[in-house]
Formats: sequence, C-alpha cells, structure tokens
Amino acid sequence: MSTTITGRTQTITDLEAGAVLEERPRRKRRRRSPETGRPIGKRAEPFTIISYICVTLFGLFCLIPLWMIIAGSFTDETQLAKTGYSLWPAPFSTTAYQMLFTGGALATSYTASLFITIVGTALSLSCTASLAWVIARRLPRISRPLTIFAYIPMLFTGGLVPLYLLVTQVLSLNNSWFAVILPVMLAPFLIFVAVSFFRQLPEEILDSARIDGAGELRIFFQIVIPLSKPILAVLGLFYAVTYWNEWFMALLFISDPSLYPLQLTLQNLIANVTNAASLPGATAAQAAAPIYQLRFAMTVLTIAPILLAYPFAQRFFVKGLTLGATKG
Amino acid sequence: MQRSAAVAAPKRRKPTSRGTVGLLLLALPGVLWFLIFAYGPMAGLVVAFKDFNISQGIFGSAWNGLDNFKYFLASGDAPRIVLNTVFLNTLFLGASLLAGLLLALMLNEIRGHFYRRFMQSTIFFPYFVSPIIIAIILQVILSGVGGRGGLVNNLLSVVDLPQVNWYTEPGAWPWILTFVKVWQLGGYTSVIFLAAITSIPEEVYEAASIDGASRARMALSVTTPLLLPTMGILIVLGIGRIFFGDFATIYAIVGDNGTLFPTTDVIDTYVFRSLRTIGDFGTTAAIGLFQSVVGFVFVTAAVLVQRRVDRESSIL
Amino acid sequence: MSTSTLNRRGFLALTGAAGIGIGLGLVGCTPSSPAGSLSGTSMAILPSTAPSSWNAVLAQANKALQKEHGFNLNAQFINWQNYGQQALLKFTAGAKFDTALQALWLNMAQLQQSHSLADLTDEINKWPNLKKQLSDELIDANKWSGKLWGIPQVNSAARLQHFSIRKDLADKLGFSDIQDYDTLEKYLYDVKQKESGVTPFGVAANQTFELVLGTPSGLFNQRSWENPTEAYVAQFAGSGLWFVFDEKAAESGTVKLVPLWEDEGVLGAFAKIRQYYKDGIINADGLNAENATIQSQFTAGKYAGQWAMTDGTASNALVALRKAVPNADLEEVLPYGGAITSVKPLQTFQADNLVVVNANGGDVHRALALQDWLSIEKNHDLVEYGIEGKDWEATSDGGIKQLSDYSFPGYGLLWRSGLERKSSFMTESEKKVFAWAQDYGNFTKSAYASFIPDVTPVKQAAAQMNNVMTQYANPLYYGVVDVDSQLDKLKRAADAAGVSSLQAEMEKQANAYLKAQKK
Repeated sequence: MSTTITGRTQTITDLEAGAVLEERPRRKRRRRSPETGRPIGKRAEPFTIISYICVTLFGLFCLIPLWMIIAGSFTDETQLAKTGYSLWPAPFSTTAYQMLFTGGALATSYTASLFITIVGTALSLSCTASLAWVIARRLPRISRPLTIFAYIPMLFTGGLVPLYLLVTQVLSLNNSWFAVILPVMLAPFLIFVAVSFFRQLPEEILDSARIDGAGELRIFFQIVIPLSKPILAVLGLFYAVTYWNEWFMALLFISDPSLYPLQLTLQNLIANVTNAASLPGATAAQAAAPIYQLRFAMTVLTIAPILLAYPFAQRFFVKGLTLGATKG
Repeated sequence: MQRSAAVAAPKRRKPTSRGTVGLLLLALPGVLWFLIFAYGPMAGLVVAFKDFNISQGIFGSAWNGLDNFKYFLASGDAPRIVLNTVFLNTLFLGASLLAGLLLALMLNEIRGHFYRRFMQSTIFFPYFVSPIIIAIILQVILSGVGGRGGLVNNLLSVVDLPQVNWYTEPGAWPWILTFVKVWQLGGYTSVIFLAAITSIPEEVYEAASIDGASRARMALSVTTPLLLPTMGILIVLGIGRIFFGDFATIYAIVGDNGTLFPTTDVIDTYVFRSLRTIGDFGTTAAIGLFQSVVGFVFVTAAVLVQRRVDRESSIL
Repeated sequence: MSTSTLNRRGFLALTGAAGIGIGLGLVGCTPSSPAGSLSGTSMAILPSTAPSSWNAVLAQANKALQKEHGFNLNAQFINWQNYGQQALLKFTAGAKFDTALQALWLNMAQLQQSHSLADLTDEINKWPNLKKQLSDELIDANKWSGKLWGIPQVNSAARLQHFSIRKDLADKLGFSDIQDYDTLEKYLYDVKQKESGVTPFGVAANQTFELVLGTPSGLFNQRSWENPTEAYVAQFAGSGLWFVFDEKAAESGTVKLVPLWEDEGVLGAFAKIRQYYKDGIINADGLNAENATIQSQFTAGKYAGQWAMTDGTASNALVALRKAVPNADLEEVLPYGGAITSVKPLQTFQADNLVVVNANGGDVHRALALQDWLSIEKNHDLVEYGIEGKDWEATSDGGIKQLSDYSFPGYGLLWRSGLERKSSFMTESEKKVFAWAQDYGNFTKSAYASFIPDVTPVKQAAAQMNNVMTQYANPLYYGVVDVDSQLDKLKRAADAAGVSSLQAEMEKQANAYLKAQKK
C-alpha cells in the first residue's frame, strides 16, 4: 500500500542510501498545525505516557521471573528447597554451574550447537525467503498451488516413526548434525509471515526496476532483499533460536555423545538428575544433586545467548527503508 | 478535513517466461525440502487406519478401518475435551495477538533509544523459558512450597480475602493459563508486528501529525490499519491450529492433577495420558489425523472469509 | 551395515591394548560358552547418561570381551524423561541393537505381544555363569505363561515399599523403634505439633496408587500392614485401575477380586489420607510435586518422612541431609506390628526391570554371551562401579566405597543380587531390612506369582480407564477432596468407561491362570 504524498521520484540508489540511515533525532522546533492550532512535534502526549507506563509494567512482569531464575541459579539448594524461589542469591552457591560446566563435553556441545545454528539459519533463511517471494509474487498457476503446498504440512504430519525411518534408513543421516538441521529447516508459519511482509512492499519500486530492465532474479536479490532487512532479521532470529534450542531431533538421531548439541546435553543432565533420585541404583551423588538450582542454571545458559543475539537483530529494525514511496 | 490515504491498487506485472523460470528455480530448494521431509513422512498417516503391529511395521500391518477413531470419538469425554481445546486456543490466540499488537504500538511510542531496545529484549525472553520452569514459578506464586501459601494467597490475606487452593479449583485455570500465554507470547508476537511497523514510511505519520492527530489517534487510525494484513495472517494461521492443544505448556503445569481436568484437559494431553503405556501408534495417528482434518476445514473457511473481506491481503 | 566399521574400531582398540599389557586381572574365567563365532558389537540401550569415565571403562571391558568372546560392547544412553518413547521407537523402527531395559511399566507387554522380544526360556541354561547368578525362584517368578522374555534385574528377593523416617526426630520425641502403624501415626502427629517448619511426611506426584495399595501393603493402608499376606494387586498395564485380589480365596483355587474402591483397606487409606491432608500431616501440593522436588526438600530437612523401597538406596539421602541437619539419621519403618522377622509378607518376586533381547535386529547368542560375561564378579564390578582404585574401592564387608561420581544404570544391563555391593553409608536400620529382603525364604509366595494380565482384549477400555483414574482417583490418593463425594464421581465415571468389562476380563484371565497352576 502506498500513500499519495507530495513526493519525489527516487532512484534505486537513493533508496539504498536511505536504507542504511537510522532515524536521526531531530531538533525540536515547535510547529503548529495549521488546522487545529495544536502544537505538533515530539511533545509528551497522554498516549505516549501511557505507553511508557504500560511497557514498563509489562517489562517488570517479564523481568521479575527472569530475576528469580537468575537469582535462583546462584542460590544454594537448601534455601531453594525451603522457599521454592529466591529473590536474592543468599547463600551464594555456584554448585549447579560447576556441575553443568564440568559435566563432560560442554565445549564440544557448544561447537555442535554453533554449527547447527549457523548452518541451519543460513539454509532456512535462504529457502524461506525465496519460497516466500515466489508465493508473494502472485504468479498465476504457480503461487496459489505453492501456498497450499506449503501450508498443508502445518496441519498434517505423519508422526515420529515415519520421520525416524526416513532419516535413519532412507537418508542414513544417523549421527550427523544435518539430521538435526534438515527435519526442522522450514517453518510454514514463518514462510507466511514473510509472504505477508513481501506483499506489502510498494509495487512502484519493483515496477520502476522492471522499467529499468531488471530481470526477476535481479529484482529479488538486489531490491527485495535489501528492503526486507526487518523481516529477514526477524526470521533469522526466530530460526536461530529454534536451532539453538533444538534437542529433540538430536535425541532421536544422534547417539554419539561427542556430537550432542548443548541443549541435549543439558536436557539429559536435568532429566537424569530429576529422575535418578527415585530410581534403583541411585548413588548418593545423584541424591545430593541440587535439582532446583540446576534447572534454573540451565534456563540461564539457554536464555543468555538469545538475550545477546536479540539486540543484534534489532539493529535491522530500521525505519525509512521505503522512504518516499512514489506515485507521481 | 483529513487527507485520506488513497490506497493505490497496483497492477502486478506478469513476469516474462524467462523470469518465471528464474522464480521457479528460486522456489525449488524449498519445494524439494517439503517433498522429502514433509510429504514423505506423511505416507505414514495410513497407520491411522491400521491395526499397527511393531513386527509388521507400518505398511505390513492389517487394515482396521475406522476403529482407531472410535477410541476418542466414542468416548464420553470427547465433547468436553474438544470444547476445552477450542476454547483455550481461542483465548490464547486472541489474548496473545492483542497483547502483541498493543505492545508493538506502545513500543513504537518510546523514544529513548536504549530504553526501547532494553524493553524489547526483556519482553521477548519469556518465549524461551521452558514450560517446566514456568510450572515451577507458577507453583511458587500460586501455592508456595508445601502447597499452603504462595504469593497470591499472601496478597489475598493482606486484603482480608479468603485464600484459595488454586491447584484444586478448575474454574480459574483458563484465565491463569491465558495469563501465562500472554507472558510467554506477548513479546514474541510484538516482534512480528514491530517488523511490519518499521516498514511504514515516516511521511505517513508526519502527514497525520500535520492534520493534528494525537499519537493515540495515529496509533489507532494509521498504524493499526496498516498492521491488519499481518494480523490477518496470524489469525488465519492460528485458526488452522485451533484443534491442536498446547501440550507442552499445559502438561508441564497441570500434569496429572485430575481436579483441573474439567477446564484444562485438551485433546493432546488426553491422548498422551491414555496412550502413555499402551503405546498404540495407530490410535495416536488417528487422533492426529482428526485434528488435522478439522483444522483444515476451519482454515479453509477462514481464508474464504478473509478473501471476501479484504482480497488484497488474503493469503491465497 | 554399521557393524563393520565398529569391528575395525574394536580391532584397533585391541592392537592398541596389546602394548599396554594385560596385567589388569581381567582375564577371568575361561568362557565355557557354546561353540559359535561371535563378532561385531553388542549394542545395549540404557537409560540415564554415560558415567563420567565411561570411555575408559568401556575400553577396558572391551579388551577382555574381545579376547574372550570376539565382540565388543557399546551402549546408547537415553535420558529418563524420554526413555520409554525412544526405546519403543527403536523397536518399532527396527533399529539394530541387542538388548534394552524394559518393564511392564514401560512397553514390555506390547513388545512381547508383537513378537519383538526374543524368547529366553531355554537360553539361560546354556550359560553357566549367568545361570549361577539367577536363582530358580527368580526365573520362575518372571516367566510369562511359562516363557521367559527378559532377564530380571533385581538386587533383592523382595521389594517392599515402606516409610523412611528421620530417626533423630523420632529419638527426640521419644519414639525408639516404631513397629506398628498406630505408633507411626502418633509420631507423625507429634512432629506436626512439636517441630515447627517440618512437615511430617512428603508425598510426590508419581506415587499415586502406592499410597493406598500394593503387594502386600499400601503406604497408608493400615489394614494391609496388619495383614501382610492378604492382598495381591494387579492391573491391566496402563489402565491405572488396580484390582485387589483375595489371596486366601486363591489358595483354594477361587478368584475373588474387587476394584480398589471396594476394598476395605483402601477405603480406610483414603479416609486417613484425607485426614492427614486436612491436618497438615502431608504436604498439600503432593498432586503436583515432582519426586525430585520432594527429595530435594527432604534432604533440606523439610520433611520427617518419605516413601522408600527396599533396594538399598534409602540411605543415599543421608549424605545431603547431613549437610543441612548435621545430626540427622534415618530409620526404615515397616509397621507390621512386630519385628520384621516375625512376619512373612506376600510377594510375587516379579522384577520391576528386565533386560530384553531384540528379536528383530539383535543377536541372541551374542547378547547372552555378554550377559554371561557380566555375571562374573570382576567384569560386573568393572562395568557397574568403574575402575577399581580410581572410581571405587572395596570395603571389608564386601561393600563399596565410592571414590568418584561414576554412576552406571546397572538395572538396565547387569544387576545380579549375588554381586551387588552395598554402599558404605547404609544406615544400620536399612542394612537390617535390606539383608532380610534378600532371602526368598522370608516371604510368602503369592498364588498369583507369575500372573501377567494381558491387556490386548481390552486395550481401548484400559486406555479410557486410565483417564478416569487420573482425573477422579488422583485427588483421592492425595486427600485434596472429600472422600465420599469423590468416590461417587469415580464410580460413576468408571462405570461409564467400562469397569465391568475390565473386571470380567481380569477374572477370566485369573481363573485361567489358577487352573493352569493347578496342573
């Protein structure tokens, strides 16, 4: 969709230049609306104030449990067992982290997870964006069937056993990191989110490119992709997080512990500690494991990379990408 | 006098045949993936109509018609379970979309650069907390250690209200679970809306502001309509999954606590419990197929409705 | 096939080992196995995770194994949360492995019926070391209709659930040796009154029916403690609906059984639990509390008693408990009304865990050769406890002192009651109970000893019943609702789900079983 604005025609290079710039804060000059006489510009309005308050409240709503988790991961188990939670890590204890970090091959687990995340995200992003573009393009006799084709797997699934047979017997991918990447490579949900975004790209820009003689592929790679940085960042973030947290596929297909990704190593540790105490043959070491603390520590280890990755992705939430969409 | 945003209906140029080939090549990797990893295993759905025997495998087992479906559909629990599933999913979908939208709109108002980024990270992280941890924290809040206490009950006693044993009161749970879902998904959904907001040209806001619109009015009349396509997609996708209960979260929180089942038992948890030890692959597949087919019917209806309402932004 | 690669690896390990020397004392007994060339790798599916020095132990074990039998051992560990599903998946998908841990409470019945398990009835006798370690009573008790489908994994003859209480608190309150239920109850109430901050007893969400019934006793079922030879209980696997059988009637060949809500002892237990819930004797969040959480709270000193089993592990909690409460001590209480040696409680001697052999992708010969090899003390100790001197050392009374945190899920591969070592910090009380539990002669064998109900004819009704039991019976097990009104709801729901058909089928199978025993 585009609006009629007293605008200028923009060339492609202008757009690219504009796309790199972030919105710069402007000097406040009180302008007044010619119609209502009300001052316009960046002045604190009721809605803005409400927004600040609400967002802060929701942020607290999210932050307090996060704090409980972090504090809990550093609190000694005896204290946690008594109260169930902790808002301040006293008595301080790093037992859980020690257990997690010395519990075997954490270094190889990180390597495995990094490989899976990076390679997986690259594959997913490229296939998602390209497929989504072809659907968004509304090609006659191609896009509609593709839409249905990509949607059906969101509802219909053959289940675990056929997948297991496919990956282990037909494709022989046992003990390969690709067995973790490939089954979850494309998420129909994200494909359609991308489609929705692509459809909102102003047609004028594409048209002017076509007038200039660009072919379909060139348009995709040189115009659409740069303009789609926000959605690509979102997709990349979501996919990366999925791969980072993926442990079930690894559980199914990887039996060599030196190839386990991080999440599976942690899951195994927690699951065994949680259940070990009640099983025959449990040793005293297992009975003394700090279960509460371990679970909190594991959550922290899982969330930390994501909290670090998110601001990085936010840089792509750039305004003004479609500056001055044109319609003469 | 408001200057309305004239929506131009762009004429899409059909690509040349060379262009089409190029686009088909673009789509090829994705299509291949779907064929191998999505449609390949789907062949296993035939087991829903078979009496599965481990030694004979999926394709060697004997057919048994619709027997596997009888288990769930003929049981007296089916209506209640289905109702719970649909009701809870509707609540979750509506609440998380609304929360995501409001959060995106409000985050858009925040000018402080650092504060905004910080807030965006903060509300995003709950999505990655595993359901087990959510269950633990919820237990602390609602029932405390040993089951007699909890932060909520302490608050209630401060204002002289009677304490409630939350884990034996089924009535409150749809709302408690919705609350949890909003916490979990609010930030996640808002990210999607925020990405859409960033593609709204600043000129639109300037124009509206020249017309004298307050920020609230702008959010309502400018931003929100431009987010409707995204909203539409999310609703349609959500409707397709309406028969699939949120197993991970619900099972982690409710577990085997039978007193809460009247309002929180959904198809997936019901099936999981029933077939935990019996392990009948055929029945599990049958119920999954049932959920898929119903979801498909719903989503087709939703898409048709959307096409009627707003053809341009319809998914199909 | 992948075994060829592993064969190469095994060969390399052997050539490497040749330089290190064989002076590790592993060349034990000469294997007197039946002739046959074994090769490849015996893959064992095990729960839990690989112990910390697993690779070293495995290398050492394989040196000897390769030399004596010509094949290697390898294990795949699957964490407990996912074990059941993953093991079933591997069987279903025809994966290549030799043995796996299975049980009735996993999917053993289903696997047996679909011919996925190898018949071991005649195999045991071919392997002398194995035969020596498995007593005849044990084998007989674990045969299903005369056939043996798995090697039972037990470390005692009897498995009795009981109370593990804080001896230091009992001594402080004046209870020296609790032998009957009324005294135990008095102890619990005294703790509630006099020890603030301590809840008398901790119950966890996974216990459910164990709190009201068992063969022979349910935890809070006073009648079953006072009459420990009266009741045998059984269910269709996965249904959750336990039937209480009259043992006396069975001795005369008649089958008399009732659903659990019609048994006097169970009803008494429900009433008691409800009272305990209201009086704060048990924790109010039992329905939701994970077992690990309750354990954790117990070792932090929050409870004065918890559930325990006669498998020698109850004292494990003491190590952590002493950190929180320095003078803590534990006592194992079985409130039969007198000394434990004065009664002969009912037992079926059925093992909770068995090692099964994969019929469709495993090598029976190789699997049993491995089992035989593991029945030799040196080999058994190596794999189960680790490398002697580094991971553990022997104590004078044939027990074990752990030096590292090596922990192997022995019950998935190699438990032998004759070879299991007692941990060095077992309390006196537990030592007494555990020793008593070793001897088959101390117990009465049930008339239903090897009766395994077959769920196939009532599969769907059993699955329905599971839902009814989870929804309506669970609250009763934990006392969170009024007994009478909840019982009504339970009965009505059970009727609607077909309890009569389940009962009829159970009676039919029990009758057939007793008749077959008579012959």
